[in-house]
Amino acid sequence: MEEFLRMEHVSKRFGDFYANKDINLTVYKGEVLTLLGENGAGKSTLMNVLIGLYQPTEGSIYLNGKKVRIDSPAQAVRLGIGMVHQHFMLVEAMTVFENIILGDRNTKGVFIDREARKKEILELSAKYGLDVELDRPITEIAVGAQQRVEILKALYRGAELLVLDEPSAALTDIEVEGLFKIMRKLTEEGKSVIFISHKMREVLHISDRITILRAGEVVTTLRREETDGQALANLMIGRELAPSQYTKVEQAGEPVIQLKGVDFQKDSKHNGLSGVSLTVGRGEIVGIAGVDGNGQSQLAQVVTGVLTPDAGTVDMKGTRVAQFTPNGFILENVSHIPEDRNKMGLIGEMSVKDNIVLKTTETQAFSSAKGLVLKKKAIRDYALEMQEKYDIRCTSVEQEARNLSGGNQQKVILARELEGEPDLLVAVHPTRGLDIGATRFIHDTMIEARDRGCGVLLVSADFDEILEVSDRIVVMFEGQVMGVYSGKNPPIEEISLAMAGK
Amino acid sequence: MKNKFVNILVPLISVLLAFVIGCIVIAVLGANPFVALQALWTGAFGSMRNVGTTLARSTPLIFTGLCACFAYRCGVFNLGGEGQFIIGAVVCCFIATRSGLEGPLAIVLCLAAGALAGGLWAAVPGVLKIYRDQNEMIISIMLNYVATLFMGVVYTNWLRDGTVPQTAPVPDATKLSRLFGLRVTTAFILAIVVGLLIYYFLFYTSKGFQLRAVGLNMTAAQFNGFAVKRYILMSFIVSGAIAGLGGSADLMGTQYRLINGYASGYGFDGVAMALIGQLHPLATILVAIFFAVLRVGSTTMQAATGVPTSVSDIIQALVIVFTVAGLAMVKLPQFKAAVAKLSARKEAA
Repeated sequence: MEEFLRMEHVSKRFGDFYANKDINLTVYKGEVLTLLGENGAGKSTLMNVLIGLYQPTEGSIYLNGKKVRIDSPAQAVRLGIGMVHQHFMLVEAMTVFENIILGDRNTKGVFIDREARKKEILELSAKYGLDVELDRPITEIAVGAQQRVEILKALYRGAELLVLDEPSAALTDIEVEGLFKIMRKLTEEGKSVIFISHKMREVLHISDRITILRAGEVVTTLRREETDGQALANLMIGRELAPSQYTKVEQAGEPVIQLKGVDFQKDSKHNGLSGVSLTVGRGEIVGIAGVDGNGQSQLAQVVTGVLTPDAGTVDMKGTRVAQFTPNGFILENVSHIPEDRNKMGLIGEMSVKDNIVLKTTETQAFSSAKGLVLKKKAIRDYALEMQEKYDIRCTSVEQEARNLSGGNQQKVILARELEGEPDLLVAVHPTRGLDIGATRFIHDTMIEARDRGCGVLLVSADFDEILEVSDRIVVMFEGQVMGVYSGKNPPIEEISLAMAGK
Repeated sequence: MKNKFVNILVPLISVLLAFVIGCIVIAVLGANPFVALQALWTGAFGSMRNVGTTLARSTPLIFTGLCACFAYRCGVFNLGGEGQFIIGAVVCCFIATRSGLEGPLAIVLCLAAGALAGGLWAAVPGVLKIYRDQNEMIISIMLNYVATLFMGVVYTNWLRDGTVPQTAPVPDATKLSRLFGLRVTTAFILAIVVGLLIYYFLFYTSKGFQLRAVGLNMTAAQFNGFAVKRYILMSFIVSGAIAGLGGSADLMGTQYRLINGYASGYGFDGVAMALIGQLHPLATILVAIFFAVLRVGSTTMQAATGVPTSVSDIIQALVIVFTVAGLAMVKLPQFKAAVAKLSARKEAA
């Protein structure tokens, strides 16, 4: 088979963290190559290098055997690389046709020859079975159709290689089948596809070859025939799937927080809650399992006071919550490790030190005269103590938090949130994008908090993480609780089905 | 540390570049740039009298600069410094000319009333932002026109003095005292004190710390329990109060009466000062003084060498352009890469 793309020794470094290290990757014409890896394994970074959003720190990229430099997405398009992002990049108010010709460089002159363009597009769509209605606005068409528009847009701009980033995440089963047909059609015509996913079943179904990434490096590349799901999972995680090592608590203490029939934007399938009832007791970890975007974020924000539910009741340590404000919950000794550490957890442009004391500058320890005089030395000393205790690796506590690696940023948040010995800890995707060492540290810390009587609500899209640390498992689907299972010897099959809404 | 260095270096290089281009323009106009710049320097600093004039000229700029600086620190854009300044001056003018009060008490009352009026004027965009999610920039700019036109009503009708459309001067007893008999008044001292207070508040108090946190990342501030909306409204009110205080101090210190065109441009000048000063209150004061130097000195330059004062305007504009462009440039990945390469080479050598 003829080679289309070759990446040689590609590395991408941020600060002293390698997001990609010495990556070698080849894509042949007419094949589907899958990139498989955990969150944070470096898949997105690698693709961003390929489409010119990032410049590689080292290494080179060859197309059709010729060395190329891709310094912008526009350049990538010219070279025949098209990307369909997980979150579509479409102008919603415009029609399908307008979206497809948007930014097209082939148009000469001021006016667009609409009829000629439409004819070209229809020919393309017939060729690959990408059926779309050109004159409908994007807002009126289904998600699957929007994806076809994205693919058509890429092909119209002359893509020879299509990168599909988790394309099946938002699709129904039937739509996924349709997508796979289109992918097959593309490869039959000699085009190449890079497929990014971590859904094992789909990967085994559609791939020709599978490249596994872990911690920024290529573990290996396998042909589909020579592997199976279990082997791939082990390679992806980097160890045999060991049974969880943490002891599970079977009897929780008194309830810390209790939700009854909580609704939030009930009619929204993906970002709402519908009749959620759930209890977290002292000294237990309740894991919320489910595919991303089934109301978990909203649940976490309700139990930390960021969102106010539309209906239902929330009892905190036996008292009905009347007003939902983050500060009210903080005063009730609720800690929050939010899902997006940069956006919600840290003030990136402030120092590590400032972020550690973010919530506590008004306490006696760090200021006098009701906050009128900050005790700068006390703050610094405390930050140094925390740096030691939580093993925060930074050049100094004066370093800006945004310049830390993800794991160390998360440790800054842990130091802030756990030092007050909270009654309830709400942790949302706490290990997303972290390496195995940092993940283990964060799990250990959560278990420690649990053992001293803290109730923990853990939201994670990583099923293995849920299985590993949860004492009870709650499955959410489209804003509803599908079932509650014991964390000890959990019925994995049953839980998987519940996560799919069955 | 490295960041701080860049923050100082960029404006300095920008000033240098602006002067180089200014010199070229002067040379093209047929004058000797060095003679012209010397005249500019003499105009600003040549005598104690000139120094006094320069500082007096800088005073309103310091106030509007600090006004912009304070709101920006909380992450909101108050472009209405001019309107708040004017409203402060108008209210001050009312009290000074109509209340019959005189002496220090009257001065304090005028200053307080000016600050209050400016704060209330700025509360309008603040309230609309937090309760109705309206764009604070547009509303604060629009309120500038309202304030200017309102001042027009005041000096052409309500407080008109004689045939000319202007108000009567404030009574002598409410005029701020001059320092060492120069044109600079206690208003300048007041401006410096306000700057120092803001500096202390932002960097040495817990509320100031939280305000900066809100300004840098509102979502994270909200998640960490800060009352974000309250901070936004308060920062608008305080920011407006600084401008209003400036307006009344300027009226009693320098201007004495409301006339057509009063305070025109002060608001946007203030925004520029704050940006060049990297939103640091003390740096903003220095930048305001620097701009006053260019403005005062240019008159002497024109008289001595025939180079029009607009050359000074060009230099001022270039300083703004270069600083903004420079600060954007140092954030570019290409620039960062180049710096990294340079330092790597240095280490290797």
